[in-house]
Amino acid sequence: MSHPEAGFMHEVASTPRGRGVLACIQCGRCTSSCPVSKVVQEHNPRKLMEMIILGLRSEVLGEQLPWYCLSCFTCLDRCPQGGDVGEVMFAIRNLTAREGNFPEGILTQARSLFENGRVVMASRMALVQRKKYGLGEEPSVDVEAVQKILKKTRFDKLISKGK
Amino acid sequence: MKYAFFAGCLIPAREPQYENSVRKIAPKFGMELVKMEGTNCCAPFSIQSLDYTSWLALAARNLCLAEKMGLNIVTLCNDCYESLLMANTILKENKETREKVNKALADVDLEFKGKTDVKIFSDVLYEEVGLEKVKNAVKRPFNGLRVAVQPGCHLSKPKRLHFEQRMGIMALDELVEATGAISVPYERKEACCGGPLRGINDEVALNVAKQKLDSMKAASVDAIVTVCPFCYLELDMGQIEIRRHTKTEYDLPVLSFAELLRVAMGMDLEEWELKAHRIPITKLLNIAEAK
Repeated sequence: MSHPEAGFMHEVASTPRGRGVLACIQCGRCTSSCPVSKVVQEHNPRKLMEMIILGLRSEVLGEQLPWYCLSCFTCLDRCPQGGDVGEVMFAIRNLTAREGNFPEGILTQARSLFENGRVVMASRMALVQRKKYGLGEEPSVDVEAVQKILKKTRFDKLISKGK
Repeated sequence: MKYAFFAGCLIPAREPQYENSVRKIAPKFGMELVKMEGTNCCAPFSIQSLDYTSWLALAARNLCLAEKMGLNIVTLCNDCYESLLMANTILKENKETREKVNKALADVDLEFKGKTDVKIFSDVLYEEVGLEKVKNAVKRPFNGLRVAVQPGCHLSKPKRLHFEQRMGIMALDELVEATGAISVPYERKEACCGGPLRGINDEVALNVAKQKLDSMKAASVDAIVTVCPFCYLELDMGQIEIRRHTKTEYDLPVLSFAELLRVAMGMDLEEWELKAHRIPITKLLNIAEAK
């Protein structure tokens, strides 16, 4: 393991969804509540919180584990400390993404969002069905507006780092 | 009852039978669903995972469009509900974040003012139409049908977003029972279906779905009824994949609540709508016919 970076917990806590890490008492209720932990042994939210607290920055940001989280928010509701584990997962994924480290499936969705203004595109079959049921086209999307916003927030730059 | 109708991506793009059912039900209860023009993706979990401000700005743009229409939003999808409701709450409460997001919105001539509310279809039916009216509209009850209600995570989680007035799971249970069906309790009712990991880690997604399906099967149900389009897809398609990998057979037809209610109200599904279900639903529909 690399040398612990003492400031990492505070780096996480200072991001919009990361504050909950400061409340963690390592009880493990998040892990026992987690539907993914039941099927993937390595996915252990308690341990991830511990690694943040210990300042293991490169290990945490290099991990694929935060991307196993379903954001079902069960841990958030069950944390006795209001530690918002599921929210901290978002904070970690945001930091990880800045390093250009995110799964291909996420990148595909992000690209679709930038190019089409939506994540899921209608299949040809669905378009035929829509017509048949009189539902009209898919709801219209203002792609230009989406791109303006995402350029302003530098989302385009962020996803161009994706590997 | 007039609402800005936010259909989302997945339902219009993959599940037109779900949207069609909602559009058939709504007018019977005096609900007018006004089309929102030029919206964008709600910015679900995958996008929120990449960047906080981008998420809020995209969600806020949709909220602003509804504000301009002077209407509250009604959504069908649990993920749109979570994204829009959470963004709306954060932006109403936090001035600093609101100002930051409004800067990003200035380029598209919009400003978040906090004048709209976000609701999900089942809650609107329960709270604003009312259970009695729904019960009275049922012409072909699904008497005795044992249903595993799959609420989907974001119908009620995280709890702090869903204040007392948001009914969530309880409303859905009662609405399902208004059709004559029985909402059977089962162990993993509030657990995730695995859907959010589709396309990111399919194997894990399927294993999570399996836990859920095992728990439903153990409760001896005849069918699964959900409001969430991700659960709808994951649990229907997931059964086919699980059968291929493990030979486990669940044979649990999956219906959206809108389809269940539509049939119970005496409106048939079209042939194509029946065919959209990977696990055949015809035998369920016969239960409603027989009464």
